[in-house]
Amino acid sequence: MSFLKITDLHVSVEGKEILKGIDLSLDMGRTAIIFGPNGSGKSTLMGAILGLTGYEITQGSITFKGHDISRLSVDERSRLGIGLSFQYPPAIKGVRLRTLLQTLNRHTPDKIAEYAQLLNLTGYLDRDINVGFSGGERKRSEVLQLMMQMPDLLLLDEPESGVDIENISVIASGLRIILEKDQPISKRKRSAIIITHTGFILDYIKADIAFVIMDGHVLGCGAPGEIFEEIRRDGYSKCSMCFAEKFYKESKGAL
Amino acid sequence: MNTMQIDTGRLSEIGYDSCVASCGSFMVLDHTVVESHCHIEGLVVLPLKQAFDAYPHVREKLFFNAVASDSSDTAQQAAGKEPVGYYVFVKPGVRIEEPLQAAFLFGETGSRQFIHNIIELGEGAELNIVNGCTTATHGRSGIHVGITETYLGKNAHLGYTMIHNWGRAMEVFPVGAVSVGEGARYISNYVGMTEVKKIVTNPIAHVASGGSARFYSVIYSKGDSFFDTGARVLLEGKDASGEIISRVVSEGGTVISRQLLAGERAGTFGHMECSGLLLNENGVIHSIPELKGAHPDINLAHEAAVGKISREELGYLMARGLTEEQARALIIRGFLDITIEGLPGKIQSFMEEIISRSVEGSI
Repeated sequence: MSFLKITDLHVSVEGKEILKGIDLSLDMGRTAIIFGPNGSGKSTLMGAILGLTGYEITQGSITFKGHDISRLSVDERSRLGIGLSFQYPPAIKGVRLRTLLQTLNRHTPDKIAEYAQLLNLTGYLDRDINVGFSGGERKRSEVLQLMMQMPDLLLLDEPESGVDIENISVIASGLRIILEKDQPISKRKRSAIIITHTGFILDYIKADIAFVIMDGHVLGCGAPGEIFEEIRRDGYSKCSMCFAEKFYKESKGAL
Repeated sequence: MNTMQIDTGRLSEIGYDSCVASCGSFMVLDHTVVESHCHIEGLVVLPLKQAFDAYPHVREKLFFNAVASDSSDTAQQAAGKEPVGYYVFVKPGVRIEEPLQAAFLFGETGSRQFIHNIIELGEGAELNIVNGCTTATHGRSGIHVGITETYLGKNAHLGYTMIHNWGRAMEVFPVGAVSVGEGARYISNYVGMTEVKKIVTNPIAHVASGGSARFYSVIYSKGDSFFDTGARVLLEGKDASGEIISRVVSEGGTVISRQLLAGERAGTFGHMECSGLLLNENGVIHSIPELKGAHPDINLAHEAAVGKISREELGYLMARGLTEEQARALIIRGFLDITIEGLPGKIQSFMEEIISRSVEGSI
């Protein structure tokens, strides 16, 4: 049984079909990277997995830990163990970051201060969520919330965008704790899907597999480093078909 | 009658608790003072009628002075009644940390209650008062009129918190006027979280040179409630400053929120923020911010917004696992949460507790 299994997934946004039959699966404890050009459907896939408003599943299914979650609400999916780091998290005036963290916290209370310190957010705990935060501060706040939530499946939508190199390492240190990267792979219980354009995060979070999405389809999967090199060298349009056929037939999208 | 005969649950809802440390207590049930004491040197808490005898200047110079007896129908009605209420005086230089607690209970269904309070702080004196108004369990409908005249000496500081917890058949007409002396600070907090037939109030502060007046209000309107509330700050002295912040949540009824900031002298500074949150289509929020400048060297500004809870914010919190009800409650509590500089932590915590309890009871 796959930890996450997506079968023939079609998703529309405002009546326009964005995902056109995605097949993808991921096992427990594994980290997957998703590559794809702008508009290919990467963020839509994450929105559909979590069930965010506006992402309508018109066909196919998403199975998570053995449950078909396709019809569950966003909060039900979250409570089942799916957590998302938003690419553009909103600011919520009046709601202090600490208040939300206390609501989410699955650890002892002292972990809020400990993890806030790790992410250089101690001085932000009593500020309103994301109000006046820089891009990098918002990304660190996202990771801090996820560290309280400790989801079994972590969805990271460009966690390093707008973040300087120093802070990518800070963010990665938090993500590594959630993903139990200090444990042998066989003992890890949490999985992740990461969208990245720059690939910087790969220097800190070792991924096990990469998928390439173009025009709403998974074109292929394979070793993250090799695929990233090909994309950097040849661009998406040239390399997509060749490695897609090669890798996807071998693995059928499963690791 | 003593406090044991009064529903202590109603009292604790308005912050009146004889077990909590305070510098003094004052309580009126209908037209009778049932408690009046203080235990701090330099603080006087007396029923107003007694104060007329003990301190002649109270009747001669303070009674119906800041509020003119002919200034409104409400004031005229009150002027014709025997005054029931407190006189509070803090001697110059005396700074009191523990708040004074006062409760005004309405018990006689169908009657009219007239309250008249006078507060006087000497130069450099400091005090916090928590006033609570509520209906006793047997009092369901009626009219409450409350006049409060406040006089702050030079560099004095008063924190004045009012918690309204009326019943749905009560009509309430508070009239307030504050004279803020040179360099003095006045902070008013108003909390109205329960259904009420009608509340009409629009207190005014006259601020002398270097003084400041700040009005904060949080209102949660329900059912068929009608609130016509606001504040007026007249910056009459050089470098005087004012702030008015109003937060209104409506799930029913009508809230008219009027604010006026007027700068009349050089260096005056004022800021106003009026925000309204409509939870459904049953309520109306009418926000009326007014700025009036009468000198070129002033700085007055306002922000006003009325809207609904953002779907994006709800979706964000629900993506963290909160149910829609939990997410709405968190956003509403946050919206109503005003951190007030200069307000003792104890009073701030109590206000937050009232707001949380009310929001959770509503969602």
